[in-house]
Amino acid sequence: MKTRKSRPVGFYLAGSWLGLMVFIGLFGWILPLPQWDEAFFDDLGVGPFSPRHLLGTTQDGYDMLAGLVNGARLSVFISFASVLIGGGIGALIGITAAYFRGKYDLIVVSIFNILLSIPNLVLSLALLSVFAYSDADNPASTNRRVMVLIASLIIVIIPILGRISRGSALQWTNREFVLASKSMGTKSFTIIFKHILPNVAPAILSIGFLAIGSVIIVEGSLSILGIGIPGGASWGSMLANGRGNIAYSPHEVYLPALFIALTVISSNWFGDYVRSSLDKRESKI
Amino acid sequence: MNFLQVIAKRLVGMALVITIASFLLSCLMWQLPGDPAQLIAGGAPEGVVSAIRVEVGLDRGVFGFFWHWFSGLLSGDFGKYYLNGGTRDVLEVIKATLPVSLQLILYAQIVALSFAIPLGLISAYKENSRFDRIVSSTLFTLVSFPSFALALIMSLIFAVKLGWVDPIGYVKPSENLGQHFKLMVLPVISIAVGLTSSYTRLLRTDVIATLKEDYVTMAASKGISNKRVLWFHVFRPSSTTLLTSAALNMGGLIGGTIVIETIFVIPGIGYEVFYSIGARQVIAMQTLILLISFAYVFFNTIVDLLTNAIDPRTRERRG
Repeated sequence: MKTRKSRPVGFYLAGSWLGLMVFIGLFGWILPLPQWDEAFFDDLGVGPFSPRHLLGTTQDGYDMLAGLVNGARLSVFISFASVLIGGGIGALIGITAAYFRGKYDLIVVSIFNILLSIPNLVLSLALLSVFAYSDADNPASTNRRVMVLIASLIIVIIPILGRISRGSALQWTNREFVLASKSMGTKSFTIIFKHILPNVAPAILSIGFLAIGSVIIVEGSLSILGIGIPGGASWGSMLANGRGNIAYSPHEVYLPALFIALTVISSNWFGDYVRSSLDKRESKI
Repeated sequence: MNFLQVIAKRLVGMALVITIASFLLSCLMWQLPGDPAQLIAGGAPEGVVSAIRVEVGLDRGVFGFFWHWFSGLLSGDFGKYYLNGGTRDVLEVIKATLPVSLQLILYAQIVALSFAIPLGLISAYKENSRFDRIVSSTLFTLVSFPSFALALIMSLIFAVKLGWVDPIGYVKPSENLGQHFKLMVLPVISIAVGLTSSYTRLLRTDVIATLKEDYVTMAASKGISNKRVLWFHVFRPSSTTLLTSAALNMGGLIGGTIVIETIFVIPGIGYEVFYSIGARQVIAMQTLILLISFAYVFFNTIVDLLTNAIDPRTRERRG
């Protein structure tokens, strides 16, 4: 395996961008910005750096900066919630499967294989189109869509992180210190949480950061396909709405695309850094 | 274990996974709010709705519905689209759209490989040089760049601003070859960029390992030119991971081009999935999603078996 050199500059850049996004996601509502869904009919589709709107407005007169800040709230919430919950459940199932083996392991692995046999995007597409079903007569509310989106992403993430944690837990379940604690009569629960989890955690964490990036991409893809979050509430949704106006106000497309890309790149960089620092630790032993 | 037994075991496993996945799909469709038959019919009168309900087996409970569809698939009946009074066989649609998707994927693979092979070889050969560092970090950034963002930004620059190509559309190669390739450029690049990055990284890692082998030093010390050593002695043994990954991607990309096909309005299988979801064509949706999953699992299994056959060291890794 090649070991990447740690890149402090890239790491700090990625970290600060992610931190900024989490910050505006949490506290963006404090900023002195107009409402993201308030239309300014005097400034339709003005470009970036116009006097009243720092990043311009859409053709419908929505302020881009306010939209991006609001989009950060939703995108950060969706990606962190689904990766934390899905990753947590997946890791728990994967590690216990690796620890107990036997029939339980077999069932878990088969379920993972079945879920993994449907490509991620297609699975979330199918789940979302069924559970957040909406038509012109009774549109599903944005909140319901967000909840269903998170739920389907969780279902998608569980087998991915579950399989990875199972794989890396398998390397530890037969180590001497685990066998020693077993023979001393330590409870399985304690062994899993005290001895196996700390060793598996860095691997899960680095994949978790990669998963955050992928979730943001899936959210954007679903919005482009017209079954994600409606009405420009998320980055992907802004991008999807702006596609039609690409010729008149290109910033409607490139700004959300840039935010999505930077966030994904940052979380990948961060995950890579976590992995390379993990490599170093292993090589010291 | 006998190799034939391994094959048989894997194929049975694959069939089981696919069958259970299809059953879950049917259960999912069964969960659609309201009456799936009404959704399929799309506002047709009650007589038509009940006819459709019987025809697709929605009147027989979830198991009957699943079995009606699945046994039909096995005997070659892929179901139908029900459109404003008329119907269209899903099989016909697949026959028309699958080649388009395959063209897109094939071009993307060719482009990706033809960039990745030289880039991977050179950056491994000049490990830690400035060239290597620039290529590695550029590719690492590009691999995380979402393909739809790339697609939209490229169509903004090259189609809208510069007007070099049409932003959307598809022409069959038999109709107008030049126009066909011209329209394929942007979608192919959008898909190929991510692939190039991951292929280059895979090849670079393997080539670095191979360059350390004794026989490479031997070949170089015999006075064979560096170029020849790289291509004939290093590239071949280092290319297995790359080829495995390329083959695996063939399966993954069949469904993975949905967004790109939708953005560029290319009538491939991904676009058809998007359309069938929008038009609430439950049966077509089931069939298409299953087809995509099947392609994915099938390629995974075949690639696994092939690596098994080629490299016996991988055979006994169980656990």
